[in-house]
Amino acid sequence: MLKLNNVSVNYGAFTAVKNVDIEVHPGEIVVLLGSNGAGKSTTFNSISGLNKPSSGEILYDEQNIVGFPPDQIVNLGIIQCAEGRNLFPGMTVQENLMMGGYVHRKNKIHVKERLEEVYEMFPILKEKHNESAGSLSGGQQQMVAIGRALMGDPQYMLLDEPSIGLAPLIVEQMFAKIKQINDGGTSILLAEQNANAALKIADRGYVFENGQIAVQGTAEELLTNEEVRKAYIGA
Amino acid sequence: MDIFFQQLFNGLTIGSVYSLVALGLTLVYGILHIPNFAHGALYMMGGYITLTMMQTLGLYYWLAIFVSIVVVGLIGVLMERLVFHHLRHAPPIHDKIAAIGMLLFLEAFAHRVWGADYLEMATPHGQVVSVFGITFTLQRLIIIVAAVLVMFTLYLFLKKTYMGMTVIAMSQNRAGANLVGVNTNKVAMLTFFISGALAAIAASLSSPINLVFPGMGHLVILKAFVIIIIGGMGSIPGAIVGGYILGFTESLGATYISSDYKDIIAFILLVLILTIRPNGLFAKGGQS
Repeated sequence: MLKLNNVSVNYGAFTAVKNVDIEVHPGEIVVLLGSNGAGKSTTFNSISGLNKPSSGEILYDEQNIVGFPPDQIVNLGIIQCAEGRNLFPGMTVQENLMMGGYVHRKNKIHVKERLEEVYEMFPILKEKHNESAGSLSGGQQQMVAIGRALMGDPQYMLLDEPSIGLAPLIVEQMFAKIKQINDGGTSILLAEQNANAALKIADRGYVFENGQIAVQGTAEELLTNEEVRKAYIGA
Repeated sequence: MDIFFQQLFNGLTIGSVYSLVALGLTLVYGILHIPNFAHGALYMMGGYITLTMMQTLGLYYWLAIFVSIVVVGLIGVLMERLVFHHLRHAPPIHDKIAAIGMLLFLEAFAHRVWGADYLEMATPHGQVVSVFGITFTLQRLIIIVAAVLVMFTLYLFLKKTYMGMTVIAMSQNRAGANLVGVNTNKVAMLTFFISGALAAIAASLSSPINLVFPGMGHLVILKAFVIIIIGGMGSIPGAIVGGYILGFTESLGATYISSDYKDIIAFILLVLILTIRPNGLFAKGGQS
């Protein structure tokens, strides 16, 4: 289980995230809703070790991972697919995916098998395996980013705004893939502004407002919650 | 016509040395995003250590070079660990000041230990060779062959091994490298080791046809900066091609214009190329 206990993150005098409690149980898809700047990415980066919470603990199977360096957290099986994708633009698609398998670099056969699985999931990437990642369309770059995270064999995958900037049809496909990844046994923590699409595949959700959790509940509860509907679904 | 080919050959020789130095500089730039002004001092240390190994320990030329590669590579790693690592959250100007500080420190160190004299490095490959009307010492041919071999090996390392790919990955997206589980501290150390090693190789190869003295890195590092600006900051092919462009221009310019202007040519070339392509020859456009 991945569990955030009373986590706060400060940037200087500014508190970006305040006393946040989040739980992701094995096999779940949990969604974090909230507008830009509500604290979703900050929370993700704390889990990944890219910034350090000023207080609270982040437990991964009972072990507090606050203060662990980012590479060690990836090695534990918590892998983030960041907003903005963070690809290696000058490397080919295949090289990007291979880098995703960096944590398993000693097991070449395993990396190769994973690569085939990713190509099976996103056939377009196989077609474009020799093109530089920076030359792909937004949707394809997002596939590379997700594929790269999958290459590391995550127990928990953190997906930060995978639908951002994508055409509606592509967004739908992307969520179907996320569900497929989850069915394969990977637990998923998903940050989204597209609440409707995200809640359809999610088990539970949290709503962030100004760095704090305003509402939480199961996906059905959130979908029928008046405030949530007004603020994020627009119906 | 003979003199033309002779000068072309000489251009290839100096170009090889420039490319090696510029490669080390551009690799570190890619990782740290600061120009390492102390790189010329690493080059100088490379020359002295090879020379000392040959003279005091009586090591054979190639063995001395090997020792020099390891020692200067480790000096590079120390630079990263003791200085740049601690400045990673500081404004970039601090790195630059620190780099100049290390340059001064290493030069003063060389003055103290080896003195200010111009020293000669003997090479076991001083034979004169004459082919197709071009006359040269074997050492010059060795410089070219060794440099090309080193660059080819480096290319394979960076492109085909996980360890090497981490260097490229980190220079293209540091956060991305973190998120796939790369330990960026180790990559920074590795990059500084390679950078120092390349400087040591360049200095050890070129010292027999030049001289060894505390200021031997000055002009070389200035030109290496010109090269990586021409080639595009952080670009590896740019550093190689830029090095050879500069080598050819210098040796041909020295013959057909005037050898007095040899060192100015680099800077004229810089102005010209930046006027036409302000981001350098190999800069990638359009991506963030």
